[in-house]
Amino acid sequence: MDVYDYKELLPIILLGIAFFSVSITMLYWSAKKGQLREFDEQAKTIFTDEEPEGELTDSFPASKSSTRKSSRKS
Amino acid sequence: MSQEPSILSPSSNPYSSDSAAVRAELSQIDVSIRSAALFFVVSAIGWLMIGTVFALITAFKAHQPDFLGAYEFLTFGRVRSAHLNAMALGWGNNVIYAVGLWIMARLCRAPVEHKGLLFIAGAFWNIGLTIGVIGILRGDITSVEWLEIPQYATPMLAISYALIGVWGIIAFRFRKGDHVYVSQWYILAALFWFPWLYVIAQAMIIWFPARGVVQSLTNWWFAHNVLGLWLTPMALATAYYLIPKVLGRPIYSYYLSVLGFWALAIFYNWAGVHHLIGGPIPVWLISAGIVGSVMMVIPVIVVGLNHHMTVVGFHKEVWRSPTLRFTLFGAISYTLVSLIGSSMALRSVNEVTHFTHFTVGHAHHGVYAFFTMIMFGGVYYMMPRLLKREWPSAGLIRLHFWGSAIGITIMVVALQAGGWIQGLEMNNPEIPFLETVKNTVPWLKARSISGIFLTVGHIAFGVNFFWMLFAAGAVRAKEGPTLLSEEGSAAQ
Repeated sequence: MDVYDYKELLPIILLGIAFFSVSITMLYWSAKKGQLREFDEQAKTIFTDEEPEGELTDSFPASKSSTRKSSRKS
Repeated sequence: MSQEPSILSPSSNPYSSDSAAVRAELSQIDVSIRSAALFFVVSAIGWLMIGTVFALITAFKAHQPDFLGAYEFLTFGRVRSAHLNAMALGWGNNVIYAVGLWIMARLCRAPVEHKGLLFIAGAFWNIGLTIGVIGILRGDITSVEWLEIPQYATPMLAISYALIGVWGIIAFRFRKGDHVYVSQWYILAALFWFPWLYVIAQAMIIWFPARGVVQSLTNWWFAHNVLGLWLTPMALATAYYLIPKVLGRPIYSYYLSVLGFWALAIFYNWAGVHHLIGGPIPVWLISAGIVGSVMMVIPVIVVGLNHHMTVVGFHKEVWRSPTLRFTLFGAISYTLVSLIGSSMALRSVNEVTHFTHFTVGHAHHGVYAFFTMIMFGGVYYMMPRLLKREWPSAGLIRLHFWGSAIGITIMVVALQAGGWIQGLEMNNPEIPFLETVKNTVPWLKARSISGIFLTVGHIAFGVNFFWMLFAAGAVRAKEGPTLLSEEGSAAQ
């Protein structure tokens, strides 16, 4: 590929524009959908009934203290 | 301002929905991805062992060149590249496909569909990589760092990437609930970035080679972004998921986590050019790379602060958790390695570190101390939930941790201290070059010792994993401490 012949680079440039456009679209979409608001609440969305907030979910197998309730909630 | 419905409202949020039809249970999701995830973990551990053997051979050859010197296929150049590809693409990608996609499925809150895509992608990936590594050892290696795999094996890898990417998009498209957690952002972005990097690098270097320094630029743009836009986001996604999950405590500042993601997305892409400081490429381009590298301080500080503040007051719990022991080691390493990396991009520092073992130490600091340790943590958390079994041996977990932690610490310290001295000596015209080479030997021997520690850790990990997989310890497992809940066990 001749680096001075930019026609050869056209597919890559077009692909680059497409990828960049998708990135900008994603940022716009995230703002429009409210992904950039209510941050404190969003941080809690990974907790579920099975793995609730305030509960430790991992310790060494030899430990007797399985899934203890955390005494310190944030 | 328009009053749009909240993405967190109970009606649209599967995390708080009372309807079983809306709320997918995590245990159901775990079951749905179990076979695919197991396939990838087994593959990953296989490559970890193979890569470790290559690493040991390479390390010993560095200070004892006649070691296995009678075998052509085990010459330093070949076995070193075989090690890199076995570790980065074999261990790294397979464990990403296992842990990263498992986290993605859980956060999408929908049982996994189209598992066939994952199996086909995994088969393509591992067969292509096997052919590639054998090709490297046969002497078909390319001369391009991080792209050493021979041309005839790369299409299989590209197809595999494409299939994994398609699966990720499908999983995201059919997720339940509107909210996108920060780990999903990282994983989605990485699935989006990496095929782009790989295809462009293959096109401009292997298939239709650009002339001259453009090849070098493309090479280092790719190689550094493999670390920054593939391994890093996947590891950070895992850390952002595991730390709050294990502690049962939300991340300290979700705002900072989002800021860190977008800062990485904007700045990291530029950083690779700093590998060419002093090279015959436009100065403005190198300066842009330096600026990008230094600007990476922003997401690094943000992530480090966030992780640190999340675990404040929970240090005992972190130490008692195998998952967090590894994950926090990796998270702390991320802060250190990234700040060192930013400083290495400064011209005055780069004058010393360039072409020395310092860079090798830095690479292992990033790929092992940061990425691999977090992924070990991910496997320790994921496996009990997939198999509904406990890890059979706490002692082997501890042996794994200490072998890996001590090993990588020795390696990074030895290579960076030795590399810095090497750089200073190479810049001193009074010191003959051969003497600078001889002076690195003690540091290289230290690296070999570190390799022994790492090997012990990996063997402990492998033994514990296959012991668990083949059901020894299953009786104790039903009541083990890493299992989630009665519902989780019952759902099997």
